[in-house]
Amino acid sequence: MKVTVKYWHPVAQWRWDTGNDNANATDENEDVCGICRVPYEGCCPSCKIPGDDCPLIWGECTHVFHMHCLLKWIGTPASKQQCPMDRRAWGGCSPHPIALPNVPLQ
Amino acid sequence: MAGDALRAQVTARWQEGFTRLNRAEPGISGLIAYSEAWNIATDFLRPRDISDPSDAPDLATVKAAFDLINRSRRLPVMLETYLDAICNQFHLIIQDIDRYLAEYEQSGDTAVVLQLVFRLVMWYRAWAPIEELGPTIRAAYTLTFQTRLFSILPPAFVRGFKALCASTLVPTAQHAPTMWEAFEVLGMTDRYEGIIASVGYERIEQYVRETCAGKWDTPCLEALRAWMTGQIVPWMLPMYAKGALNTEDARGMLQNVGSRFDFHMNKTLCDLRTSEIFDIIIDFPDSSGALQDLKECLQRVDQRAMLVQALRKANRKRLLHPGADTKLILSQYVATIRCLRIVDPPGVLLFKVADPIRRYLRERPDTIRSIVANLVGDDDSGDSLVDENEPIQPLQQLEIDDYNDPNWDPEPIDAGPDFRTNKPSDVISTLVSIYDSKDLFVKELQVLLAQRLLAITDENFEKVEKERRNIEILKIRFGEAALQVCEVMLKDMTDSKRIDSHVQSQKASILHPTIISRHFWPSLESSDIVMPGQFQALQNEYAKEFSTFKPDKRLRWLSHLGTVHLELQLQDRVVEADVPPLEAAFIELFSEKNIWTMDELIDGVGAVDRPAALRALITWIDLGVIKEDEVNTFRLLEVAEEAAPSSRIASVAVEEPMMSAAQQQLADQMRLYWKFIEGMLTNLGTLPLDRIQTMLRFAPGYDQTIEQLAGFMEAARREGLVVVRDGMWKLNR
Repeated sequence: MKVTVKYWHPVAQWRWDTGNDNANATDENEDVCGICRVPYEGCCPSCKIPGDDCPLIWGECTHVFHMHCLLKWIGTPASKQQCPMDRRAWGGCSPHPIALPNVPLQ
Repeated sequence: MAGDALRAQVTARWQEGFTRLNRAEPGISGLIAYSEAWNIATDFLRPRDISDPSDAPDLATVKAAFDLINRSRRLPVMLETYLDAICNQFHLIIQDIDRYLAEYEQSGDTAVVLQLVFRLVMWYRAWAPIEELGPTIRAAYTLTFQTRLFSILPPAFVRGFKALCASTLVPTAQHAPTMWEAFEVLGMTDRYEGIIASVGYERIEQYVRETCAGKWDTPCLEALRAWMTGQIVPWMLPMYAKGALNTEDARGMLQNVGSRFDFHMNKTLCDLRTSEIFDIIIDFPDSSGALQDLKECLQRVDQRAMLVQALRKANRKRLLHPGADTKLILSQYVATIRCLRIVDPPGVLLFKVADPIRRYLRERPDTIRSIVANLVGDDDSGDSLVDENEPIQPLQQLEIDDYNDPNWDPEPIDAGPDFRTNKPSDVISTLVSIYDSKDLFVKELQVLLAQRLLAITDENFEKVEKERRNIEILKIRFGEAALQVCEVMLKDMTDSKRIDSHVQSQKASILHPTIISRHFWPSLESSDIVMPGQFQALQNEYAKEFSTFKPDKRLRWLSHLGTVHLELQLQDRVVEADVPPLEAAFIELFSEKNIWTMDELIDGVGAVDRPAALRALITWIDLGVIKEDEVNTFRLLEVAEEAAPSSRIASVAVEEPMMSAAQQQLADQMRLYWKFIEGMLTNLGTLPLDRIQTMLRFAPGYDQTIEQLAGFMEAARREGLVVVRDGMWKLNR
C-alpha cells in the first residue's frame, strides 16, 4: 500500500525561540517575562495582540523580556540601564541571536 | 271565685261585641244579617277547584256582604279565614303540579313546564280576591300564595324551569313575552333569579368554548361582545328591564346585570386561555390574538395568579424534564418571554413564570453551549432564538433604580419582594442573566469559536470573515474587552494564511497549517502523538521554512488537531479519505507492514489513549481498509474483503466524555488547588473536609463552596489519590 498525502491541514503553535531549548517544556513551568510575569507567548500588559506586535528582546546576559516591558524599565532612572535580573549593564543583541549568521537553527 | 267585678267586665265585653255585630239593629236582626253576609263572603272567597265550572256569584250582594263585614270591623278575621282556606285547598294545585311534572319527566319537553306555569297563573288568578278589597288584602293573598307555592314546588320543577329559560335563548322562541309575564305574576323572576342568571352564564360559557377554543390567531373579545349585544341582551330585556319605557331606561336597568354578564364572559375566556396558555406560547407568534384577549381579560378579571400557576404547572409537566432538549426549552423560554410581555408589560407574570425555568436551565450542563451556539448562528435548525429585527445592544446588567428618572414607575403591586424590573432588556441579556456572570459565556464562546476556526481550511477560508462579523456583533453585546481573545484568534487565522502563502512561495508544500497563539486559544487538550514516516518529514520541512521566514519563532505541532486528505493505493482499489491526524498516522504505519497489534500501533505514534486509538482504527475498519482478525490484532486489506459483521464496533461504546468549558475550567482551577491540598495533607496527616476548606480559603482566588470541594475530593478518591475514613481525608500512600 502506498499512502499519498493530498492535503494536510495541521495545527501548530508558535513559540519564541528563547535560546533555551525547551521544546518539551510543559505548560506549567513555561518561561515568563521576568518583569511582567506573563508568558513570553502572551503579551505585555500594555499590549493586546501577541506575536510580532509585542516582540521579545534578548539581552547579552541571556535574559529575555517583552520588549515593551524592558524599554519601560530602562526608561526609569532607577534602572541605571541595567538588566533587572542580574544588574549587569543591559546590552541588547537585537533582534535575535539565532538570526545572526552561522548560528544553527536547532 | 269570680267576683262581681269580673262578672261586670265580662258583661261589658259581651255587650260591646254584640253591639258591634248587631250594630244598631233591633233585636238580633243585625246579628242575623251579619251572619248571612259572612256566609256569602266566605263562599265567594273560597278557593275553588278551577276545573269545576261554577256559577258567577252576584257581585252586588257580595259587595254588600263585604261592606257589612267591614262595618262590623271583622275584615281581618275574614282575611285570616280566607288565607287558611287557601292553604287548605292547596292540595288541588299540588295535584296539578304533580301531573304536569310527571309528564315533563317523561317527555322532557319544556313546553309542558310552560303549560304548568300558565296553569299556575290560572290558579292564582282564580283564587285572587276582587280588586275592591283593596291592595292590602291582595298583597297578603299574593304573599301567601307564593310562599305556599314555592314551598311545595319539587326540585324537578327547578330543573324544568331552567330548561325552559334556556329554551328561550333561541331567538325564534315566540312564547317568551307571555312567559316572562307569567313568571312575573307568580313572583318567579325574583325567586329564581339565580337560576335564570345561571342559564345565561352557562350559555355564555358554552358559546365561548365553542367559538374560541383553539382559535388564537385573531382576538375573540370583539366578536364575543357583538354576540352578547345581539343575543344575550335581547334575552335579558324582558326579565331585567321590565317596565322600561324607552331604550335609555332599559340601558340603565341593564347596566348592572349586563356588566355581570360581561364579567362572566371575560372570566370564561380567561379560564379558557389560561388552560391553553402553554400551547399558545408554542404557537407564538401565530397566537398573538389570543394573547391580546388574555391581556384585556386580565385587566377585567383578577386571574393573574391563576395564569401563573397554570403556566408553571404546564411547564413543569411538559417542559422541564429530562426528555426535553435544551434548545427546545430555550426557545420555549424565549417565546414565553415574548408572550408574557404582551400580556403583562411590567413583567411581573414573566418573572414569576420564568423563575423555575431559569433555575432548571442553570442545572443543565449544556445550557450555555446551546445559547452560545445560537448566538453565533451554529444552529442547525436555523431557528434562531434572537429576533433578526431586534436591535443589537449591549448586555444589560441589573441596574439599581434610577431615582432621577422622570419616567420611573413604582413596582407593580403584585410583584414579589425579589422582583426585578427587566423591562427594556432584550432576549439575549435575559438569557445571559440566567447565570451570574457573563464570563462563562465568553469562555464557551471562545471554545466554540476555536472549534469552528480550526475546522476552516483554505477552501472555505471566507468563513473566517463570517466569524469576524459574528464576533463584531457579539462585541456589541459582551463588550470589546471580553472578546479581545477572540480577536487574537481571528488574527491568527489571517496571519496563518499570510505566512502559509509566503512559505508556499518559497517551497511548495501540501501542508497548510493554522498557526495559533498559545494562551489565546482555549486550552486544547494536549497530546503527545508523534506523526510517523512521511508526516513527520513534512512537518519538519515546513517548520524549517517557517523559521527562515520568522527567525525568532519556532513551530510546535499540535499533531492531534487538523485534518488530512489521503489517498491510499491498494492492490485492487484506491481509497480517498478525509481523516483526523491520528487515523492518518495509523494508516501510515500500516504502509510499513500489514499486521499490527494495538500496542504496537500505540507505541508507533507515541502516546495515545486506547479509546482514541480504537476510534481511529474503527474509522479504517468502516472504510474497509483494515480488519481486526483477532482481538487487538489488525490486518491491512490489500484486497477488499466482504465486510464482516463488525461486532466489535457495536460492543465498544466510543463515547467521548463531553465536558463543557465551564466544567473544564473548574477542573483546571481545582488542579491548582490540589497542590495546596496535597501539601496540607502531607504536613498534617489526616484532615476533615471543613478544615481543608478553611485552609484553602487562604489560597488566593479560592472561591469554591464546600460542596464543590467535596465533589473534587470525591473525584480524587476515585482516582486513588486520597482515601477517606470517618470523614477524615488522607493521602493514599
